[in-house]
Amino acid sequence: MKQDGVKRWVAVIGNPNAGKSTLFNALTGLRQRVGNYPGVTVEKRTGTAFTLHGEAMELIDLPGIYSLLPQSPDEKIALQVLRGESPGVPRPDVILCVVDASNLERNLFLVTQVMELGVPVLVALNMVDMAESRGVRLQPQELSHKLGIPFIPTQAHRGKGLVELRAALGQTLLHPGVHQWTMPPPLAVAVGQIAAAWRDSLPAEGRAEGKALELLAGSDVGPEGARKLALAWRERFRKEAYDWSAAVVHARYEYVRNVLGEAGMIGGTRVASWTDWIDAVVLHPVAGWGVLAAMMVTLFVSIFSIASYPMEWIDAGFTWAGQMLESRMPAGVLRELFVNGILAGVGGVVIFLPQILILFFFLGLLEDSGYLARAAFLLDRVMHRVGLSGKSFIPLLSSYACAIPGIMATRTVEDPKDRLTTILIAPLMSCSARIPVYTTLIAAAVPVALVPVWGKAVALLGLYALGTGTAFFLAWMFRKKMLGGGSPPLILELPPYRCPAFQTVALRMWERALIFLRRAGTVILALSIILWFVSSFPKSSDDESINLAGSFAGQLGHWLEPVIRPLGFDWRIGIGLVGSLAAREVFVSTMSIVYHVGGEEGGLVASMRGATWPNGTLIYTPLTCLSLLVFYVYALQCLSTVAVAKRETGGWRWPAFMMLYMTGLAYLGAWLVQIVGHALGF
Amino acid sequence: MGSGLLATESQKGQIYLVETHEIKGEGNGLNLTQVGAGTEVRVSRLECPPQTCQRLREMGFCENALVTKIRGGADLVCWVCGTRVALSARLAKQILVEHVDGRS
Repeated sequence: MKQDGVKRWVAVIGNPNAGKSTLFNALTGLRQRVGNYPGVTVEKRTGTAFTLHGEAMELIDLPGIYSLLPQSPDEKIALQVLRGESPGVPRPDVILCVVDASNLERNLFLVTQVMELGVPVLVALNMVDMAESRGVRLQPQELSHKLGIPFIPTQAHRGKGLVELRAALGQTLLHPGVHQWTMPPPLAVAVGQIAAAWRDSLPAEGRAEGKALELLAGSDVGPEGARKLALAWRERFRKEAYDWSAAVVHARYEYVRNVLGEAGMIGGTRVASWTDWIDAVVLHPVAGWGVLAAMMVTLFVSIFSIASYPMEWIDAGFTWAGQMLESRMPAGVLRELFVNGILAGVGGVVIFLPQILILFFFLGLLEDSGYLARAAFLLDRVMHRVGLSGKSFIPLLSSYACAIPGIMATRTVEDPKDRLTTILIAPLMSCSARIPVYTTLIAAAVPVALVPVWGKAVALLGLYALGTGTAFFLAWMFRKKMLGGGSPPLILELPPYRCPAFQTVALRMWERALIFLRRAGTVILALSIILWFVSSFPKSSDDESINLAGSFAGQLGHWLEPVIRPLGFDWRIGIGLVGSLAAREVFVSTMSIVYHVGGEEGGLVASMRGATWPNGTLIYTPLTCLSLLVFYVYALQCLSTVAVAKRETGGWRWPAFMMLYMTGLAYLGAWLVQIVGHALGF
Repeated sequence: MGSGLLATESQKGQIYLVETHEIKGEGNGLNLTQVGAGTEVRVSRLECPPQTCQRLREMGFCENALVTKIRGGADLVCWVCGTRVALSARLAKQILVEHVDGRS
């Protein structure tokens, strides 16, 4: 199956840190599309490139992997795509292997596996500048001659070698290359027998030895005779304690070393470089943490404060658009729908865009420069105690600004269970949207005259600590009791430091922005329109406050009151909770409408302090304010977060679980505050 | 198992000889956490679950591979197969090594 006008499919594969994505971006530019493989959350990136003759090629950027023996979801997907077994993705016509020229021994290990797939292979010998600076004498023609496939030197981050690469990709005489590595005798016998049993039914372009190794590894794809032989040999090797997979790895590496040795390319003597000097500081037990803290503060402050300027511009833009519509459109339901429903809904989503862009800008810089791997290394030991990996820290830190970009950033977490756990706890990090609620309720609970400003700051810090502490506890619970298994042991390549490729960073920012606007915007826009409807109808009065009380949302608030009464909340707080479902900060504006005040905090706080139950007792006692605060620490009141979690987890199951457990936690927490508070005489 | 040749029979009754190598340091248990920073060692054996062993080998920590320990502590940084690789100490304890000069 091929797209109209597209002549061939090219799969781009390589080790992590080989510059694969940089090369992919250089070849495809903005002609990229991002999605997910069916049924999994592994990202699928495709793009269109052109040969020198203008022939269109569809490139598919596969996840960076070290081996085709699948252990992780990324490796399984890569193998499925290369075999042509991934739904909706044609079998590639050509495989482009991107190898790090400064680290050929390990990179060519993957190439030897790829060559057994029976698909024409082409190698981009990338980062040649780095290899040459390390004294590696590159001989691409020698390598081409020995392996029987083209080796094209490239420097993807500088755009060098792309012309030659496009020319090579356009050739029609590419072939899979020559299998030359020698299997050790026991394995050779087994593979020979299995291959012989398969050969008759194998497609012409297939490689029997490669298929035989897959059967030995446990694949169940193949003729019955071959599968039975593979099972028998597997059992025999097990009884004889012969580690055949280790033997394969050794044999491949030995072959690669021989090839490099004969080509005069075994260089690789380690010499001190500026990477070592920087690592001496960055990985230092004390200084390293200081550097990390500085990086994180910069990231957090940027997301939190620098983003506030463009966020204000966006807010002003939507306010202006609302005013324009109000002045141009006749009063009525349609105007209300556009101003209070659509504009408010779209504005409520688009306003997060600067935070998303800044986060992915910094993440891109940190990842491309090589620092992110060091951060994960430093944090792994701490995060491991709660069942997470070091890579979970960045998404969690970002969630203090907003859980939406934080959840999107979990794509950097490789282990699926670590990633899922991080997504499940990210909303517990007190995001910036909670701050208006926190400050309003703290002010309502405690008059300024009684407690100095620093006391309120301590209260605010306590709320952050409560959310963070609960998040880590739940991470431990989820990992140990529900998702099972511990984090895989840390084994992580630390790439050499390099100047970030800004084109790559910019492209990533662009695609993340599009994904965010397209997906979260459609879902949240629809839900915001629904919320506007239930908050506006049925119409009972021109007075906004009375109308809100009589609306479906108001009726829901009254209906909720018996449920939330044990928490010290009345029906008006119930309306606030319903309105907060769209976005937490809506609570403040909703309560302003409920209590007939404008948007000023001072007026609302005064009104809340004076609000009473029918029997005359105060509603917003310090205890009730604390209950409400604890409720907001734990409750998932952000439909945008739910929408993004749905996308990142591949379905509604886990977002529904998040909604349930966080709502339950919020209710339980607020109720416990009331119980304990009353018991202590408050 | 010492060094030498081992006769093995195939399913069809063919006898073939497999060359075996004595793994030096077997049973001595010197692991990667026990060597100093800057030391170059040779991997003698991996004592970890099969999947972890597979991943280690694919990253270059094969038996008989040369590894230079760059940094120690709770997490290690090693130079192997032309790359810097970070390992948890927990995993490093499962990588048995010998000194390049044969000492263990």
